[in-house]
Amino acid sequence: MSDFFPKQFFLFDPLSLFFLFVIFIISLPSAVYSLGYLKGGYSSAKITLAWFLLLIFVLSMAFVVTVSNVLVFLVFWEIMSLISYFLVVFDTKHEKSIQAGMIYIIMTHIGTAFLIAAFMMLYKHAGSFDFNAIKSACQIMPGQTKNIIFLLLLAGFGTKAGIVPLHIWLPYAHPQAPSHISSIMSGVMIKTAIYGIIRFVIYILGVQSSWWGILLLVLAGITCLVGIIYALMVRDIKRLLAYSSVENIGIILLGVGLAMFFQSMNMPYLAILSMIAGLYHLINHAIFKGLLFLCAGSVYKATGTRDIEKLGGLIKKMPQTAVYFLIGAMGISALPPLNGFVSEWLTLQAFFLGALNIIGGAKVFLVICAAILALTSGLAAACFVKAFGITFLALPRSNYAKDAKEVPLSMKAGMFFLSLLVIVFGLAAVKIIKILALVSSSVTGFDISSMSFSFNNFTLSPQADKHIYLSTPLLALLLIVLGVAGFVIYRLFGRGKTIIYNTWDCGYYKIGPRNEYTATAFSKPFRIAFSFFLLPYRKTQKIRESFYHVKSFAYETYTTPVFKRYIYEPLLALIFKTAKSMRKIQLGSIHLYLGYIFITLVLLIVFIRQF
Amino acid sequence: MFKIIIIILQLILFIIISPVLSGLISKIKNNIRMRKGQGILQPYYNLAKLSSKGEVVSETASWIFRITPFVVFASMLVSALLIPVFILRSPLNHAGDFLALIFIFSLGRFFLALSALDTGSSFGGMGSSREMFISSLAEPAFCMAVFAVSLQFGSTDISAFSGAHTIAVSSIVAGVTLFLVTIAETSRIPVDNQETHLELTMVHEAMLLEYSGRSLALIEMAAYIKQMILFFLIAQIVFPITLPVYGNLPQIFFWILWYLGRIIIIAIAVALVEVSVAKMRLFRVADFLGLAFVLGVIASVCAILGV
Amino acid sequence: MQGIILFTVLASTYLMVIAKRMPALIRGFRYQSFCLFAFTLFAASGHDQPDLYIIAGLLFVLKVSLIPYLLYRIIKRIKVNEDLGLFINPQLSLLWALVFTYLSWIFSTHLIISNKITLTSMLAIAFFIVLAGLFLMISRMSALAQIIGLLVMENGLFLLASTVSGGMPFFVEIAIFFDVFVSVVIMGFFVYRINKLFTHIDVNKLSRLKG
Repeated sequence: MSDFFPKQFFLFDPLSLFFLFVIFIISLPSAVYSLGYLKGGYSSAKITLAWFLLLIFVLSMAFVVTVSNVLVFLVFWEIMSLISYFLVVFDTKHEKSIQAGMIYIIMTHIGTAFLIAAFMMLYKHAGSFDFNAIKSACQIMPGQTKNIIFLLLLAGFGTKAGIVPLHIWLPYAHPQAPSHISSIMSGVMIKTAIYGIIRFVIYILGVQSSWWGILLLVLAGITCLVGIIYALMVRDIKRLLAYSSVENIGIILLGVGLAMFFQSMNMPYLAILSMIAGLYHLINHAIFKGLLFLCAGSVYKATGTRDIEKLGGLIKKMPQTAVYFLIGAMGISALPPLNGFVSEWLTLQAFFLGALNIIGGAKVFLVICAAILALTSGLAAACFVKAFGITFLALPRSNYAKDAKEVPLSMKAGMFFLSLLVIVFGLAAVKIIKILALVSSSVTGFDISSMSFSFNNFTLSPQADKHIYLSTPLLALLLIVLGVAGFVIYRLFGRGKTIIYNTWDCGYYKIGPRNEYTATAFSKPFRIAFSFFLLPYRKTQKIRESFYHVKSFAYETYTTPVFKRYIYEPLLALIFKTAKSMRKIQLGSIHLYLGYIFITLVLLIVFIRQF
Repeated sequence: MFKIIIIILQLILFIIISPVLSGLISKIKNNIRMRKGQGILQPYYNLAKLSSKGEVVSETASWIFRITPFVVFASMLVSALLIPVFILRSPLNHAGDFLALIFIFSLGRFFLALSALDTGSSFGGMGSSREMFISSLAEPAFCMAVFAVSLQFGSTDISAFSGAHTIAVSSIVAGVTLFLVTIAETSRIPVDNQETHLELTMVHEAMLLEYSGRSLALIEMAAYIKQMILFFLIAQIVFPITLPVYGNLPQIFFWILWYLGRIIIIAIAVALVEVSVAKMRLFRVADFLGLAFVLGVIASVCAILGV
Repeated sequence: MQGIILFTVLASTYLMVIAKRMPALIRGFRYQSFCLFAFTLFAASGHDQPDLYIIAGLLFVLKVSLIPYLLYRIIKRIKVNEDLGLFINPQLSLLWALVFTYLSWIFSTHLIISNKITLTSMLAIAFFIVLAGLFLMISRMSALAQIIGLLVMENGLFLLASTVSGGMPFFVEIAIFFDVFVSVVIMGFFVYRINKLFTHIDVNKLSRLKG
């Protein structure tokens, strides 16, 4: 392949190939899905435009992860951002799309500005735009410069990845895009930012200070928690998935940050292990988040709304979509034996083995980070119980949900393929880890010939002499066998038939959809527990007929968007204030403007006497 | 071959003995309350009664409601197989380790919470909301306990701490953490009340409200097994035991007594806690589990220091 | 001979600066362009370059005849007050023009260190004409003054190029002429439109449109 494309521009090392694989494995099902999704909702000219943009989008991402020239990288990065902007505002009927696109394009360009600054500094030191030349120049770069470049790269790629507090565009942009684009954006595009971090920081810059890894771990931990706490609060299903993407980026960066930390401590085995964990979670998240977005798109197409408070009972109306969503939800909640479980387990193992083997005060820090991961895992499970339960189970809460129909075959095919991958990537963990070990070793430069991460073809074993094992095929087999055994016991013992009847209604015979639990109610304990961060606001209003009889009761609650209110809005207000004060010199008079030029010219002439 | 016998024996042990534990705890509680109460074998009678009855399934429920009992039961049995009971190494060592145990518990809980939402009743929704809340806060504490024990013994293998000869401070603190987590996971006072069906006080029971007949029997059995698993873990962490010398019969006899006795001690401790304190408000449970988390961190620090 | 022509160019620029009404301004511009035409003719015969004849011809056709004719037509068409609307009165303008002449003289002596006084003075005058054009644009309210100020600046640049640097490439000169002609036509049209919309061509009043 490398002699087809000119050698100086492309780099096909294991990391690039891995990311190419991720890109295509998510884009192809999404493209198939979009066949059915776009039909009927848009004019045929617009559908052609959608396909064209999709093609360029996927190609630009493919180029981003394979080029080996900084300038060309920037060009394709910009193309990727621009095309995704067009795709976000694709639904021009909704004004929210325009607003979302505006926020997205501004944030992504702020990130690109940081990237340009970092790349310019790299160019200045290396004299060339080529990756390999920069890599060799970075080995002799002074430490201060490296630190600055690292921070700039982190800010630049962090904006695209969605690290807190630069994540603010994600919950706006991802819901508004058409669903197959949301799945590619959330599944693949934010991963290209992780590619950037891995390629530029670990491969090119070379990690030497341990505080880099620690900074990334702290940021990743905060990102996890903030992402999942906000995901629990929202009622728009795609916004929920977008916030959950923020959380999972945090988990991926926990793995990558650990790898950086161990690399700076010169512990090759643990560095490779954490990098494997991070990359594994990366591809897992791409798969199940892509799947979940496609399912959310199916729900939206079938019902016309994204608000889960208006849905319910879809498992009866859209049985196949429900199964795929369930598989995706199980994957993202890290339930055995699916893929999310393996990658989270690996990350926890990396933390444990790190805490065991590392010397010094970092042990407690690693242990606390592992606890944060456990907490977000629990919260993620809660979040997806809510998402799946309120959307698909029980009775329909509105007419939107009552009239839902199952989606066409092409959409089902895309979802089916991805849910199959969720299962396969969980069961075939050992094979995948072998491949990821190759990728990690090419990035960090450590030799893996003496390392082994598995016991046999079915069992993982992070550290051979410690007898730690995990075998997802065995677990799956056990679960199925014991489940069947339970069913056999069920059938054998006892007699009696099953009657279908109403849900228990405490004698109140008018039970219906209004009695069901709502999503807001489901997340209330979390809202209260995290109220120090969420700052919820509650307003109630009672309309009384008489002192004893309350005729109606209105209840309004929302959570304060902390980042928007306390970081971004003051920043924007400052920018507007500065712009307004600059207005004072612009009085609209041509003479004044010309006068400015004239005075400058005269002053220049006068001051020429000094020289 | 030997392994398969051990597996079957372990399964039978868990399925047959675990209800006794529950009965024992309620007997002790009733004794302290100066009541006669139900017998120790009452849970068996309950399960038999449930098995003989027919089931009523809600019309709003879907296939998730139907398969949940089997998923929960299977996940608990798999967890049971991961624990070393008869020998120092668990029979299915290669399937998973201590960390995997946390995730397998959450598998059962996930489906139970979904089935509770499936019926469309407010009780179910409330139960699943509270259960997910409590369990997500209990996970870091559980994880800390696991880490503390694993750091002390050098591996997350559940069998790692089985052969310990001495009790370390970190093990005791980790045991206390795990004890607090057990109270949360097995729905005991002060987190939840197993005896009542009032909506103010139910969490686990609220999720089971719509189940009846044999499905309910399976889920109840799964709850008993989970309780026994956790008791076994605490017992092995806090009161480590090694294999007796083969052939020395009196020693074997005392060994069996001590083996069972330590579990009974934990049961007594649970019963005492249940009787002494009142059930907490749901939002206070967050503080309770936060305390467990802090204890877990302390245990980890002790383990790191090697104490 | 060259010196006399340059002097007349200077004088015509002063005439423009003190003009109070539009016809006077355009007349001053015609004189200036005519003097430049004579200057180019003189240079053409002196250096014996045929291109310069063509340029001189173009200068005559465009800047001495066509453009002033266009401008006269605009004034007649829109029937506005022929008053130029002065921000700075003629006497003060003349004073400022003298100051600018001195400043440009100092500037050019610093720029060109040579004994030849003609070169320095040519640069000085050329630069002064540019400044004067700019000054016209600033200190007169009427839109017509802006147009003429631009044209005067272009005259100054032409003079600068042809004296100090030995002329610009032929095609560049042609292109500039064409450019200037087209811009005058367009600006004339726009002035007409502005007048139609606002019934005046007072640029100062347009500042009410500020954001």
